[in-house]
Amino acid sequence: MSALRELGRRRYANLAIAALVLGIAAVFPLLFDPISGTVGDAIKALAFVVMALGLNVVVGFAGLLDLGYVAFYAFGALTVGWFASDHFSSVNAEAGIHLGVSEFISSLPGIHLNWLLIVVAAVIVTGIAGMLIGLPTLRLRGDYIAIVTLAFGEIIGRFAANGDQVKIGEYAFSNGRQAISPTDPIKLPFFQEFDQAFNIRPYYYVALALCAITLFVNFRLRDSRLGRAWVAIREDEVAAASMGVPLVKTKLLAYGIGAALGGIAGAFLGAYLNSVNGGQFQFGFSIFILAMVILGGLGSIWGVVIGAVVVSVINYYVIPDLLDRVATDLDLGFTVSQISFGVFGFLLVVMMVLRPEGILPERRRKLELSGEAGSADDALVEVRA
Amino acid sequence: MEAASIPARAVNTRSAGQLRDAFSKYGLIALLIAFPLHYAIVDLVERGTLAPIANNLVAGLSNGAIWALVALGYTLVYGIIELINFAHGEVFMIGSFVSFGLWGTFGLTLVTGPLGLVAGLLVTLVVAMIISGTLNVMIERVAYRPLRGAPKLAPLITAVGVSFILQNVGVLWLGGSQRGVPDLIRTQDTLIEIAGVTISRGDVLALGVTVPLVFLLTAFITRSRLGKAMRATAQDPEAARLMGISVDTTISLTFLLGGLLAGAAGLIYALYQTSIWYFQGFTAGLIAFTAAVMGGIGNLKGAVLGGFIIGIIQQISDARGEQQGILPPLGNQWTPAVVFAFLVIVMVFRPQGLIGEETREAG
Amino acid sequence: MRLRGSSAPEPAGADPAHPIEAREGHTAGQPANGSGPILAAEGVTKAFGGLLAVNDINFAVPPRSIVSLIGPNGAGKTTFFNMLTGLYKPTLGRITLLGRDVTGQRPDRITCMGVARTFQNIRLFPTMTAVENVMVGQHSRTKAGLAGAIVRPPRVRREERAAREKARELLAFVGLQERVFDEVSINMSYGDQRRLEIARALASDPKVLLLDEPTAGMNPNESARLTDFMRRLRDERGLAILLIEHDMKVVMEVSENITVLDHGEKIAEGLPHEVRSDERVIEAYLGKRG
Repeated sequence: MSALRELGRRRYANLAIAALVLGIAAVFPLLFDPISGTVGDAIKALAFVVMALGLNVVVGFAGLLDLGYVAFYAFGALTVGWFASDHFSSVNAEAGIHLGVSEFISSLPGIHLNWLLIVVAAVIVTGIAGMLIGLPTLRLRGDYIAIVTLAFGEIIGRFAANGDQVKIGEYAFSNGRQAISPTDPIKLPFFQEFDQAFNIRPYYYVALALCAITLFVNFRLRDSRLGRAWVAIREDEVAAASMGVPLVKTKLLAYGIGAALGGIAGAFLGAYLNSVNGGQFQFGFSIFILAMVILGGLGSIWGVVIGAVVVSVINYYVIPDLLDRVATDLDLGFTVSQISFGVFGFLLVVMMVLRPEGILPERRRKLELSGEAGSADDALVEVRA
Repeated sequence: MEAASIPARAVNTRSAGQLRDAFSKYGLIALLIAFPLHYAIVDLVERGTLAPIANNLVAGLSNGAIWALVALGYTLVYGIIELINFAHGEVFMIGSFVSFGLWGTFGLTLVTGPLGLVAGLLVTLVVAMIISGTLNVMIERVAYRPLRGAPKLAPLITAVGVSFILQNVGVLWLGGSQRGVPDLIRTQDTLIEIAGVTISRGDVLALGVTVPLVFLLTAFITRSRLGKAMRATAQDPEAARLMGISVDTTISLTFLLGGLLAGAAGLIYALYQTSIWYFQGFTAGLIAFTAAVMGGIGNLKGAVLGGFIIGIIQQISDARGEQQGILPPLGNQWTPAVVFAFLVIVMVFRPQGLIGEETREAG
Repeated sequence: MRLRGSSAPEPAGADPAHPIEAREGHTAGQPANGSGPILAAEGVTKAFGGLLAVNDINFAVPPRSIVSLIGPNGAGKTTFFNMLTGLYKPTLGRITLLGRDVTGQRPDRITCMGVARTFQNIRLFPTMTAVENVMVGQHSRTKAGLAGAIVRPPRVRREERAAREKARELLAFVGLQERVFDEVSINMSYGDQRRLEIARALASDPKVLLLDEPTAGMNPNESARLTDFMRRLRDERGLAILLIEHDMKVVMEVSENITVLDHGEKIAEGLPHEVRSDERVIEAYLGKRG
């Protein structure tokens, strides 16, 4: 029975940590100007937390290394570009289609849906995209999975970047590097439409709410039948299949959930950034998010949150403010911002070599990486499931 | 190098399985033939000549020679330690950069006389190869060796990290955009022309460097003591260790060989494309990796074959920027997508590659 | 006495200290209640490239019985197991479970239909606790899906609690001490890991249990206990057990019927004392004499 009590204590500990962290996070923007750049960076960082937690489901829980996570950011953001802008300008005889948007937006051509509906659409679009991308990887071994997801990420990135050349009827897939802009600001029921010109705090709180929901989903999944099945597959695919875990379905669920969370964050960023630029969905972004997961600790939920915050702080503060100043003072002749991805690459290498379990390791990973519990990678080719 | 398992050609009892097998065997080959064939028909019908597609093939082979050299590096390393050396493309990029830098140092320009040019290029080739080779060995030492016992994905992640570091070294070295390289050998000058098909100086250079290097490599691996040690380690590292082969040395040697070839490829690329930049390694890496997988990873002949095939696909895609036949307009902004589509198809339907055998440990 | 391949010094059954228990009423291949076999293989063949790992095997597991599969190392026993459990697809032949054709079905489907197994080299989920391992074993008998996991309605809570309880019961049933229930499986002793693997297999409520060398690494005392345990499984839980085993004492004592494989072919089948005195079997184990 001590185990049960221990479990209970852990659950309350989690709740207490969550309440504390979210409480501090809720007060944070009040310390700054309503349109402060710091709060703006924090908003993006919160969206990255959601993405990192999504990627953590795929890589950390199910052990499928996904190097093409940027694809889901792209799909999420494009959902906003399609359904909350004048992209489809001539639908409904140029009168547009409007659902739950403000009076002004209702007068614009194109499809304009309420942001919450767009989130639902993004979840559906990215969830399906995630499973479709995952499907061909299921028979492959770990390193091949990484490359195939990378290839898909690049293909989708190419489509977004050159989307102006891809026409379906009279409409382009994206506006390519011209960006679909402006996209509608977020409007929630019972609230005024958000107006970035005066106050970006509402965006901050929406992002924080998304983080809270994502955290909840992550914890619930980890401690569930599904979560156990993921660990089982990660540690020994053959044994998992032999114990009745359907490999295809279970892996696809991981891909789908990870993708959907990426899509939600993408839909948020698409609305917050006011535009969807097809040229921004590059491999580097996948690694940016992966670095958060690795740095924090694969599979460790709080670790990944810390990782996302740390990498964001490095990206928005340490590199542009601290290191660049040092570089200028030392007269190095370059800025560190130019090589920020080199910095993240360096972080990945250093972490993997010196502390592969991450800042806040998950209990299982610690065991796995200590070499005591080598995960069985030698899955039999014929294990189809 | 053959993989260390028993080849298995599973005979399936079910028709679905048979269909899949048949597709996996012939579908990829059919697809690979259909792609150039389509444009050959288009050329013949629309212009009444096969010269455009023939020129695509020639240029494709030259490109392919570069990819073959890079692909050999992937295949060698994968054959020995089953690691996708993600940073390999960047080693190739550094080869280009070193060559470019040396030409500046040696003062090689467009007006350098032929003798000076040949001597200068030979020295550059040797130095670029040695620097790339050494770099590859160092990468293994620092980023992969400490993780040899770790789960397989760990070194892959560090490989990605190293790749980013080297890219940014490239950024600091020559800036963030394309950099023109003096066209030392007047690469586009036609040497031979037959029926509208031109073979340029660049084509001769690419094949003239690649072919001897591939033969040297093959001879080294099949004949020399070290090469035999490599093959033994690839088949069974534990047994090789027991036979007194130093596994560490063998692995270092493998990375050295891969790096040497990548350095040579870097030089050819700089001369042939007359433009280099920090990001070339990322694209080249993925293209060459696709080549290695297409040929059957771990298989030297396969890597060379795959390199030429991908070179041709890439050249055709680059050159066909207009709507032709039933295919949409391609052009170089779509080439990566085309190559990656082939990568996905190969990985999904024929992960063992064109000449690789399906492998598995026997039950 | 143990036989391991051809290195064994004497033929099976030459040890008079362990007479075979006669089991009247459970005669070879003939189920006592007269119904058909639970699990059957007809003409099952597996080729790896040019190598025939298993060749044209006919084999049946009657209900409520313990049958064994023996043979020298590399005889194709585990390959055969892997086909029965869906890890390999037979090149030729048919496998039926309770009369239904399950040839080439996915392993998780086969587990769901009532076949569970253990592995020759223990394959537990190393970082999971004993209880969690057994809970994974119940995967095919529980339902909670994605929505259930996130929302966690009372139905899912009940299911989770029941699964946990059942896991603890099974762990106790296979004889594990309560203090190791929440121990991570790699930290458990070898014998405990073996037991845990059986508990995990039992968690899917199988009709047939396939044990791949369960006594490997056990001392005679532990082996004897396991033998008793197998009988209990058959008698109390009505299970059929298919056993791959090298320990001839265990095999001869517990099996109602024995099938001998060598080089992928069935070379003998019958009651323990028949198999023990079979010329071809002795030859397979010891090599041709003279």
